[in-house]
Amino acid sequence: MKKKNFFSRMCGWVRRAFFGGSRELANSVDVEEVVTPIQQIIRNFMERKLAVGALCVVIGMFLLVFIGPLFMPKYYDSYTEVTQKNVAPTLSMMKVPSELKNDIKMIDSYGSFSVGLSNAGKVYVWGATQLGTTGINIGEIPESVQNDKIAYVAAGIDHIIAISETGKVYGWGSNKHGQYVTTDKEVLEMLEEAEESVSDEDAALLEEAGVSAAEESSEEGAEVEEAAAEEVAAEVEETKEIDKAVSVGENIIPMPTELVTGTIDVANVKKLVCGYQCTAILMNDGKLYIWGNTNAYQNINSFVDKDGLIDIDFTLNYIVGLTEQGTSVYTGKRGLYDQYRANINSSAKASKKFLNGRKITSIYATNNHLCGLLDDGSLFFAGNFPQDSVPMPQLHEGETIEQLAAGTYHYTALTSEGRVLSWGGSTLNQTDVPADVNGKTAKIFAGAFQSYAVDSNNALVGKWGLKGYLFGTDGYGADIFQRIIQGGKMTMTIGAVAVIISTIIGIIVGCLSGYFGGAVDIILMRVAEIFAAIPFLPFALILSAIMAQMDISENEKIFILMAILGILTWTGLARMVRGQVLVARENEYVTAAKAMGVREGRIAFRHILPNIVSIIFVTLTLDFATCMLTESSLSYLGFGVTYPRPTWGNMLNGANNSTIIKNYWWQWVFTSLFLAVTCICINIVGDTLRDVMDPKSDRDK
Amino acid sequence: MGKYILKRIGYMLAVLVVLSFILFLIYNLVPNNRAYTDAKAEMTTMKTRLRNASEAEKEKMFEDLYVEYQRKYGTDTKNMVVKYLRWIGFMPNYYGEYSGLIQGDFGYSYELKDDVINVVKQPMKNTVFINIFATILALGITIPLGIVCAVKKGSKGDQVMQVVTIIGYSLPSFVTAILFVWIFCSLLGIFPPSGMKTPGSNYTGWKWFTDRMYYMALPLITMTFCSLGSMTRYVRASMIDALSLDCIRTARAKGVTEKAVIYSHAWRNALIPIVTLVVGWFLGIFGGSLMFENIFGINGMGKLMIQSLRTQDFDVVVLLQLFYVAISLIGNLIIDIVYGLVDPRVRVSA
Repeated sequence: MKKKNFFSRMCGWVRRAFFGGSRELANSVDVEEVVTPIQQIIRNFMERKLAVGALCVVIGMFLLVFIGPLFMPKYYDSYTEVTQKNVAPTLSMMKVPSELKNDIKMIDSYGSFSVGLSNAGKVYVWGATQLGTTGINIGEIPESVQNDKIAYVAAGIDHIIAISETGKVYGWGSNKHGQYVTTDKEVLEMLEEAEESVSDEDAALLEEAGVSAAEESSEEGAEVEEAAAEEVAAEVEETKEIDKAVSVGENIIPMPTELVTGTIDVANVKKLVCGYQCTAILMNDGKLYIWGNTNAYQNINSFVDKDGLIDIDFTLNYIVGLTEQGTSVYTGKRGLYDQYRANINSSAKASKKFLNGRKITSIYATNNHLCGLLDDGSLFFAGNFPQDSVPMPQLHEGETIEQLAAGTYHYTALTSEGRVLSWGGSTLNQTDVPADVNGKTAKIFAGAFQSYAVDSNNALVGKWGLKGYLFGTDGYGADIFQRIIQGGKMTMTIGAVAVIISTIIGIIVGCLSGYFGGAVDIILMRVAEIFAAIPFLPFALILSAIMAQMDISENEKIFILMAILGILTWTGLARMVRGQVLVARENEYVTAAKAMGVREGRIAFRHILPNIVSIIFVTLTLDFATCMLTESSLSYLGFGVTYPRPTWGNMLNGANNSTIIKNYWWQWVFTSLFLAVTCICINIVGDTLRDVMDPKSDRDK
Repeated sequence: MGKYILKRIGYMLAVLVVLSFILFLIYNLVPNNRAYTDAKAEMTTMKTRLRNASEAEKEKMFEDLYVEYQRKYGTDTKNMVVKYLRWIGFMPNYYGEYSGLIQGDFGYSYELKDDVINVVKQPMKNTVFINIFATILALGITIPLGIVCAVKKGSKGDQVMQVVTIIGYSLPSFVTAILFVWIFCSLLGIFPPSGMKTPGSNYTGWKWFTDRMYYMALPLITMTFCSLGSMTRYVRASMIDALSLDCIRTARAKGVTEKAVIYSHAWRNALIPIVTLVVGWFLGIFGGSLMFENIFGINGMGKLMIQSLRTQDFDVVVLLQLFYVAISLIGNLIIDIVYGLVDPRVRVSA
């Protein structure tokens, strides 16, 4: 109200005392705006800040999960990626440190982190550097490496190998599977610390959960090292270690002793390359050092003591090499990678026929396919190419590939015309080359899902590929954010359909029962009581378990699940509708309708029902949350919707042991948050609606 | 009153029969054939004897055995009603023997190689124990809390509680459980994350009890916490209703102290809906404890049920399900009887 000053108020009093009230005043006092009940409800609702906020959140969630999937055309349910398992939330996978940006010598990556080397010999690490449950942060570069001048560096899935200018070989990160052996005290301390943070109990639990936790491996690392350097390993009980060495030694090829204690001839190093948990150093004279986890690579034994190679690389399961003859890819196995093709989408030919006298000069391997340069400048491809791989762009007339680099699924190449091309796997945007790198690029690097273009001054001119994961990845390597959106769509759809089914049954039964009364009422209410007596969760479990046995498609199963949820939840609504109809039946308008000869059923559904629709709406809202929760509970227990199709319930399925809850917090925090926030907001909206629709509630306030 | 109770019991039995029939039908949807399994098993034990028998002879032998077992188990007919009655124990099987639920033959667990009744015994004890314990805890907290909220309705504290309780009952129980495991086990390290007792220990007496409670503490806390939200709201609502009765105004007008008004007059009136709630909720947590038993690895009925569902041990599942149904019906009966006791109107109208 407008505040008047004292004088004008005095005037008002005088005027009213002698001349009666003004028209203006009368209007403002007596005439209230007429509002319909719906408007009144909306108005009351808007007064509640909390409820309005909750409504906004609910609408936001709906938009997110139903519109969000349209922006994820590359998403599919069963996506798995072995090198991206359990990656913590980060968006820094392509964030090259600013000190490195103008002085890049090389960049390499394999899994969730990248390692870079400057011309000054300094090493930088970026990306998701916390290594799973091991407690190791690979971003903590050992001091000895920082102080030394590094010449070569390469990254594996959980370790980094660096060779200094003086020929010393450094390693850090996890060494549970013999990725490296070190005498560096600092690194050993780091490993020990990490070991302490992961207790035996945790490791056992992890093992149970099927996560790759290596139990004995810890000592084993120390034990191999003991062979090389006595001073550090002295404290550990030797007998135990020797036992372990026997049991573990079989699946580990230890790092050569001359590399651990001695140095390597740096000028002679041709290539340093890391695989999953293996490392290979190829010398110019054909000598090959190779070590690491033999379980990761089936054909690693064919490469031990293998001489005369001119190139080597790692796919996911095999090591591929190139011999001096250059007539085929050496794998130590027959029939592996012997079908060559000119491009990803062209047909394959036997290697001899394809090469036709040409020689292979170098090879570049991704996880499941490889690419090689021939001596006439053309390329060949071998291996399995997924359907969605992007074929290699056509080269111009006379254009040749100058440089080639391979990531986990993609290749990046620099042509003689200065063009930068990317092709291969494109699921994580690896092939989206920015236009402005063409012509400026002098060097290219590719690793994991990223590519970097560097100009002739060693400055970064462009980077493309995977930035990281907003919410991290799950145990299969899938992006949790995408799965939350897709899962939300499924959860909400199931909740909505179930609640619609239950509402339809509830309204029909309630209306019939309430309006007709008598025998109909008794029978229907007894049926409702029987349904209400069924213990909900156990019964739903049995039904979904039986459904799982039946030979029906996944979609039908989901529909039956919706029906089960709907059929088990209608009783509450039916009873309430019945009660309301009983009251409404006595109203005058019903008598009037009867007098006019309207049919009974029509009265119940066309005349009475609209009058109780507001209450139905409230129940519907609250039931929606209940159905969502029930679906989530069922899916969480492993019934209901099952992997790979995501729902918010089954995404939490993995988080049922304390190790995962503790170490991979992102795998449950975000999903729980979405589920909880949605349910809480729906409940707040429903509760407030019930309050504002109830005429008594005003009096209560 | 006696007539009323009898009527309710009769009604309960009728519902039980209907439900068990439905269960039986569902159970028969599953390709789970006890007679077939047993016949197969017997065939393998006779392998050495049958070494020289031809395929046709073997087939014949198996057919005979199968029929024999079917007759024994009462499944030698396609008539569902007859099968059901035999399963219950109202009709004799082919040999004139009664072997149904009433006679105490609950079936055999193929997974655990024991009679179902023995398999179920221990988990049932555990489940009943944790449920009763959690109920007592929850009631001890929610009733005072609900009363305070109702009396101080509209105050800041009440408003905060309103929001907290909404959050409490909206949070899925397994999310709460995960959260609590994270807080109490990972961050604070107070409680063990799962299990029933210290592995390998064999305590007795007081030590057994404390060890048990140490392991049960987190599940109990979680279960109690999960039920706080809805219970508190319910107690508050019925207390508000009771406080707005005319008799309360009269009592206040007479000058009865506020304490007496709340705890003696209003509380008694609020009790009727609360009794319903408590019984109903007690039944609810029997089903709900299934979740907690699975998360915390408690050897209870819920865990057994999930395990049996996974291994398709349907004899166990059906018995457990029947138990859940029976608990729920008995609970409803108790509600009805208590209603009749507390509220004379119900008795009269019945």
